[in-house]
This record gives sequence, C-alpha cells and structure tokens, in this order.
Amino acid sequence: MSSESSKKRKPKVIRSDGAPAEGKRNRSDTEQAIEIEERRIQSCVHFMTLKKLNRLAHIRLKKGRDQTHEAKQKVDAYHLQLQNLLYEVMHLQKEITKCLEFKSKHEEIDLVSLEEFYKEAPPDISKAEVTMGDPHQQTLARLDWELEQRKRLAEKYRECLSNKEKILKEIEVKKEYLSSLQPRLNSIMQASLPVQEYLFMPFDQAHKQYETARHLPPPLYVLFVQATAYGQACDKTLSVAIEGSVDEAKALFKPPDDSQDDESDSDAEEEQTTKRRRPTLGVQLDDKRKEMLKRHPLSVMVDLKCKDESVLHLTFYYLMNLNILTVKAKVTTATELITPISAGDLLSPDSVLSCLYPGDHGKKTPNPANQYQFDKVGILTLRDYVLDLGHPYLWVQKLGGLHFPKEQPQHTVIADHSLSASHMETTMKLLKTRVQSRLALHKQFASLEHGIVPVTSDCQYLFPAKVVSRLVKWVTVAHEDYMELHFTKDIVEAGLAGDTNLYYMALIERGTAKLQAAVVLNPGYSSIPPIFQLCLNWKGEKTNSNDDNIRAMESEVNVCYKELCGPRPGHQLLTNQLQRLCVLLDVYLETESHDDSVEGPKEFPQEKMCLRLFRGPSRMKPFKYNHPQGFFSHR
Amino acid sequence: MERPAPVAVPLGQAEVFQALQRLHMTVFSQSVSPCGKFLAAGNNYGQIAIFSLSAALSSEAKEESKKPVVTFQAHDGPVYSMVSTDRHLLSAGDGEVKAWLWAEILKKGCKEMWRRQPPYRTSLEVPEINALLLVPKENSLILAGGDCQLHTMDLETGTFTRALRGHTDYIHCLALRERSPEVLSGGEDGAVRLWDLRTAKEAQTIEVYKHEECSRPHNGRWIGCLATDSDWMVCGGGPALTLWHLRSSTPTTIFPIRAPQKHVTFYQDLVLTAAGNSCRVDVFTNLGYRAFSLSF
Repeated sequence: MSSESSKKRKPKVIRSDGAPAEGKRNRSDTEQAIEIEERRIQSCVHFMTLKKLNRLAHIRLKKGRDQTHEAKQKVDAYHLQLQNLLYEVMHLQKEITKCLEFKSKHEEIDLVSLEEFYKEAPPDISKAEVTMGDPHQQTLARLDWELEQRKRLAEKYRECLSNKEKILKEIEVKKEYLSSLQPRLNSIMQASLPVQEYLFMPFDQAHKQYETARHLPPPLYVLFVQATAYGQACDKTLSVAIEGSVDEAKALFKPPDDSQDDESDSDAEEEQTTKRRRPTLGVQLDDKRKEMLKRHPLSVMVDLKCKDESVLHLTFYYLMNLNILTVKAKVTTATELITPISAGDLLSPDSVLSCLYPGDHGKKTPNPANQYQFDKVGILTLRDYVLDLGHPYLWVQKLGGLHFPKEQPQHTVIADHSLSASHMETTMKLLKTRVQSRLALHKQFASLEHGIVPVTSDCQYLFPAKVVSRLVKWVTVAHEDYMELHFTKDIVEAGLAGDTNLYYMALIERGTAKLQAAVVLNPGYSSIPPIFQLCLNWKGEKTNSNDDNIRAMESEVNVCYKELCGPRPGHQLLTNQLQRLCVLLDVYLETESHDDSVEGPKEFPQEKMCLRLFRGPSRMKPFKYNHPQGFFSHR
Repeated sequence: MERPAPVAVPLGQAEVFQALQRLHMTVFSQSVSPCGKFLAAGNNYGQIAIFSLSAALSSEAKEESKKPVVTFQAHDGPVYSMVSTDRHLLSAGDGEVKAWLWAEILKKGCKEMWRRQPPYRTSLEVPEINALLLVPKENSLILAGGDCQLHTMDLETGTFTRALRGHTDYIHCLALRERSPEVLSGGEDGAVRLWDLRTAKEAQTIEVYKHEECSRPHNGRWIGCLATDSDWMVCGGGPALTLWHLRSSTPTTIFPIRAPQKHVTFYQDLVLTAAGNSCRVDVFTNLGYRAFSLSF
C-alpha cells in the first residue's frame, strides 16, 4: 500500500514537477524546486528504508513464529510421551495388584499340617530335601499328596457304596422269607390252642395279656408286672387282668395330622351347635375339670382270694394328667351277707381300705404338683371325686413304683420297679388281713346286735364260766357325737380319735347297773386294738375321772389287750374285750364294799372267788382272772 | 368351753399302745435324791423314771427337760412306795424291796444293788408293800403292806429282825414318831396302831371309824394317810381327815373335806393334804380352818 501511495504520489509529484519549467518566477522558485527535488529524493530514500524495515520486520516476525512453532511441537511430543508412560505405569500397577491379590485355589484346601505331611507322605512325593528349603516346592508337594489321598478315598467310597447295595439286596431277600413265615406260624399257634387248654397252660392268654400290657401307662405297667410276678412266685390266690379298651389307649397316641383333619370337621360341627347354645363359663370349667381328672382307658384288675372263699376285687386306675394311681375296692363273699345295721361301714367300698398303713386315708392326692393344677380349674381337693375315681392311697402309688417325696412336686413319670417289688408282698398280706378282719367283724356285729357276745371255744379259757352281765345294745355312733361325750375327753386329747376311725356304743347291764362303753375302732384292727371308754351308772355316775376302779377296768381292756387277741390272726379281739368288760362289771358290782349305814342286803352278792378285795394304796378291785384256777386277783 | 379338736396323728401300733399306756398310767410314789437335783417316780407298770429337777425348774427349761432323763423297768408289779437314804434309792412294790445306787442310777442298764423279800406267811399270792419307812436311829427300814404285818429290816446286814402283827387287814401307810421311837401304821381295817420299836409290841390302837364325828361309812373305814408330829397325828381316808391328840387318843379337829384323802403331811404349823380325786392340795392350820389351797 505504501508503494501504491508512493506511486500515486509520484505522479502527483511529477505533475508538480512539470510546472516549474516556467520560469523564474524567480529565484525562489528554482531554489524551491531544488529543495523540492532534494526532499523528494530524500523522501524516496526514506520510503525505501521504510519498506526495507517493514520487510525486515516481517521476516523477523516470521522467523520468530517458526521458532516458537517448533518448540511447541517438541513440547507436545514430550508431553505425549509423558502421558503414554504414565498410562503404562498405571496399567502395570493394576497388573501388579491383580497379581498380588491373586488367590490360587490351592489355598482354600485345608492341607494336612507339615509334620503330618512329612510323616505320612511317601518320599517320592514329599521330596524332603527339595521341599524343605523351597516353600513353593513344598506347597506343590503338599498339593500332590492331597490329590493322592483324595483319589484313594474316592476309591474307597465307591467300594463301600457297592457293598451297601449288595447288603440291601440281601436284606430284602431275607425279609421276604420272614414274611412268608408269619402266616405259617399263626396257623401253628391256632392249631396248638386246644392243646394248651387241655394241658391247663394258658400261654396264649398270657401272651394276649402281655400284648395289651404294652399299651398300659408306665405306673400301671409296673403294677401289672410286679403283681403277676408275685402271683406266680408266692401267692397262687392272686390273679391279675387288664380291663378297658386297647383302641382308646392307642388313640391317645395318634399322630397330630390325623387329629387336625378331625378337628376341622368337628369345628364345623361345633359351630353349628354353638349357634343353638353357647356353653357357659361354668360348663367350660366343668369340662376342664373333667379333662384334668381323665382316666387312662386301661385299668388293672387284681383279685385276692381269701381262705374262706371271699374275694377282694381291686381295680387300679391311672389319672393321666394328675400322674397318680387310684384304686376301687369291692368285697364279694361266697355266701350272701346280711348286713347288720352297725356293720354298714365295715365293708363299704369307700372305707374298707382306709388306713391300711397308719395315716394313709386316701382322701388327699399324694402328688404335691396336683395342687397347682387344681387351682387352675377350681378343684378344692380330690376328696369330692374319690367315690367316682377311686382312692389315691400311698401304698397304691408305691405298688405302681411312683415315689412322691414330701413337699417336692414331681414332673416326670418315673415308675420304679424296685419300689413296687419291695412293697408288693407286705401290701398283699395287709390287704388279705384287712378283708378277713372286716368279714370277721361283720359276722360278729350281726351277733352283737342281738345281744350275744360271740366268744369262740378257743377263747373261753379267758373268762369264768358264769358271766351275769349282759350286752343289751350295740350301735354305731357318729364321729361328732363321740367327741361330744363327756367321758371320752382323754382319748380325744391324746389324738387317738381321728375321722378315719369307726365309733360304736355298747351298753352292758346287770340289775340296776348300766355300763356304757364308747368304742373307737381303728381301721387297722386287729393289729391296732379298739379303745374303750367307760361310764357306769349305778349309785351315781362313775367315770375314769372320779373312780379309779373304772380306770382300772379301762386299762384291763385297753392296755392288756394282747392277752385277749386269741388265736392268730386275732380277729376275736373285739368280742373278747366285750366279754371281759362283762366280767369286769360283775367283779366290780360284787366286790363293792357294803355300806353299813344303809339297811338291806347287797344288790349283788359276791359269787366270784377273790383272794383279796382291795390291794395297794389305790384300793383296786381284783380284776385279773386266773385260769384254770378260776379266781380273781390283782395285777 | 369349747376345746379345739386335736389333729389325729397317723399312729402305728406302737404309738397307739404307748398313748394308751400313758393314759392309764398312775404314779404311785416319788422320792427326791439326796443331792436334791433329781426326782425318781414309780408308776403302776413297775417303771421308775428319773427326772432332772434342776433342768426342769431352771429358767431355760424346755419340753425336753420335763421328760425323764432315764426310765427303766424296776419291778414286775407296780412300784407302790419309794424312799431315799443318803446313798440309795429304795423302791418297793410287789412283795420285794430293791435298792438302787443314786450315783449309778443315771447310767443305762442300771441294776439293783440288792433285793430282799420279807418272810411272808402265805404263798398263794405275793403281798404288796405299800409303805416304806426309814428309822435313821436304828439304821433300819420298816416295810408294811399286804400281809398285814410290819417287817423291820436292818439296812447294814439286810436281815429281817422283827415282824409286828396286829392289823387285821392290809396296811396302807406308816409314820414315825421321833421322840419315843414309835411307829404308827394305818390300815384297811380302819385302825391306827402305834408300835413301840424297842419292845416290838403294840402300844396303842385308835379305831378311827368307831368315832362318830369323823366316820363316813359310805366311804368305808380304811385309813389312807398318816402324819405325826410327836404329840399330834393327822389321819384320813374313808373317815374324814382328823387331827388327833395322841396321849388322850381323842379327835380334836375334823377337817371339812369331802373326798377321801390320799396324802397328808405336817409342815411347821400347817397341815398339807392332797386328795386322790381332786386337783387341789389343801393347806390347813391346826385349828381346822382351811388357810388356802394350791391347785393344778
């Protein structure tokens, strides 16, 4: 552009140059023209320099740019290299970490410990020399050994499997053989039945019993086993049987699935019935009670035959929820008994077995745990239900092997055979004595009610030939009435008059004298003697508190009872005591000293032979009868 | 008054028998040991029980202290009388008198030191010995009982020296009159006889039942108890309890007690008496009125 401008200027300049030829305007015009020429040359030079400079500047600029460009290129190349290297480094690091984290499968295997390895592995695997130093080789060797072992075990496993198969096949074969045997055995047994009956060896019957016995609950089972054993070994008069429904017993152990199906059906049925009638709370409680007192469907019956053909039938039940055994008793005699009025309680099923062992009255449950169960359903005591369920005597629990330590509830049923066995013999003997003594009393009461004291011929020696006082009355007395009598206070205070005893009143008369005797009959008769308390009404009322002789008479029958027991088993005790009372009354009345101030003869002349009428500081009458001399003396 | 009904304990045969025995037991005699710490009691079964008085009377006495320390069977028949010398306990019952050493008596299985039986006339029945009396001056023991005689036994030699006869029925009780050594005996025949020990003869007889003031025919004529204070004597039993003046043999005071008396003793100026059938021990003055009664 500057060249263009300079070119443009030049023409201008030339034009302007064309003008000066004219002339001389003057000298100034020539000078000016020379100056202008000079200046024009100068400006052309200047323009040239300017262009050169401009050119130089441009070149310099270009060079500079090129240099920068080059340097920049280099830097970029380095930068790229750097990036590449960094990238590689990162990559390598990743690889390294990967390698480091690499877990080879062999570390998951639990290898045997080093010592074991060196011990067990064969030398060609363990290569001790090499492996000791080199852990890599060691691990390899161990892996080898592991592999060896596994192969061997796999072999063994396969062998065992094949063995098992073989044996299973053999079992199958044998089972088939046995099942083919069963029907043949059955037929043989059927054929042998008539032979058994002919020979009186009821094995089949016993076998069936053992079958049903399998379904008995443990205590009843113990009782059954022990009773059968005792019956076979010691006592042929004892027979044991199982009664009840075996199906129901089996039903108790039905698996729950079946019962669930039944439940759904029964629920549906129940819903229908509940629409008609809602069970009240009382009925629900009642049902709960019935559930708690439920009996096991099977029961054991034991029959004891006594010498006189009377039989004691005992039925033993097991109360499942309460875990106790109860018994119901019945006595049947060979001939029909006519029960005298006073003997009502003697053989009643409720009281015939009461107090077989002292204090065992059977009205309370022996298992202390039952009290908590009773509280839940509102039962006060078992006494209300004993008539229906039977009595839970302690000896029954012992026969069933159930042992209830005092004050400790027992949660598990442990039926102990040794406990049952040790009690079996004593209890059976006691039961027999009990039945026989009760039957003897039964007969005696029948006679007593008619006013006759039945003294057997082998006890006649205890009494003189002539006895004038007579028994006129023999009645039962209630427990409360006995406690109310004024002359029985001593016995009541001594704790001998409990509610398990039976009470009677006898009246003996002679002339105007009446002797009342209140009798306490302990259930353990005749090993525990009856206790008499006397009250004599003759010339005033005399009891043991105001007349020492009445006390002596009581002592003669209460304390000296052993002489009156008679021949074993001593069932004559009561009648002998009553007869002795008659004799004592005779002696008392006849030896009463005559009152000289009163006129008239003695009411009872002395007929008894006595050595002395009074003896000792208490002036006792001679109450002791001496046989066979027949006189009376003092003790 | 209502008594709470006692709970009947489950009783076996042995417990029932023991309870019956205890109900019919009578304690007939007792004697205190010379040291005063023990009491021996004899009952109608022939057993002697030794009680520890110091334990039972101490402030820490429990129920067990009131039970006997030891009980043993002393005689076959009842033990009717007992008396203590300074070393021995003498017990008598059915016809025999036995001596036990106080020092040994607490050991188990104690055996008697000696036993003697006075010479009896009859052999059909062995008579009982109802009363024992120690005469310290002569060191002898007097026994009296069922055979109506008083036997004297020398304690050193054990021989029976005298037998005093006179009673027509058995003798209940004995008493010693210190001054002139005389023994009084009361018997079933209703007479109180005084015996002189030196001459061995009956000195005086008082037939109590014949005196109208004191006789009670409806009770009988037997004399159950005797006590003497040298000039005076108290006796009772069937007849009423009466105070007698011995020299003149006259009844001076009659004590108003209805029941027949079993025991009586003089104590300083008072007369203590106990009846068998009541629970009281009555104390009278000599003038005949009842001062007070001790009762159970």
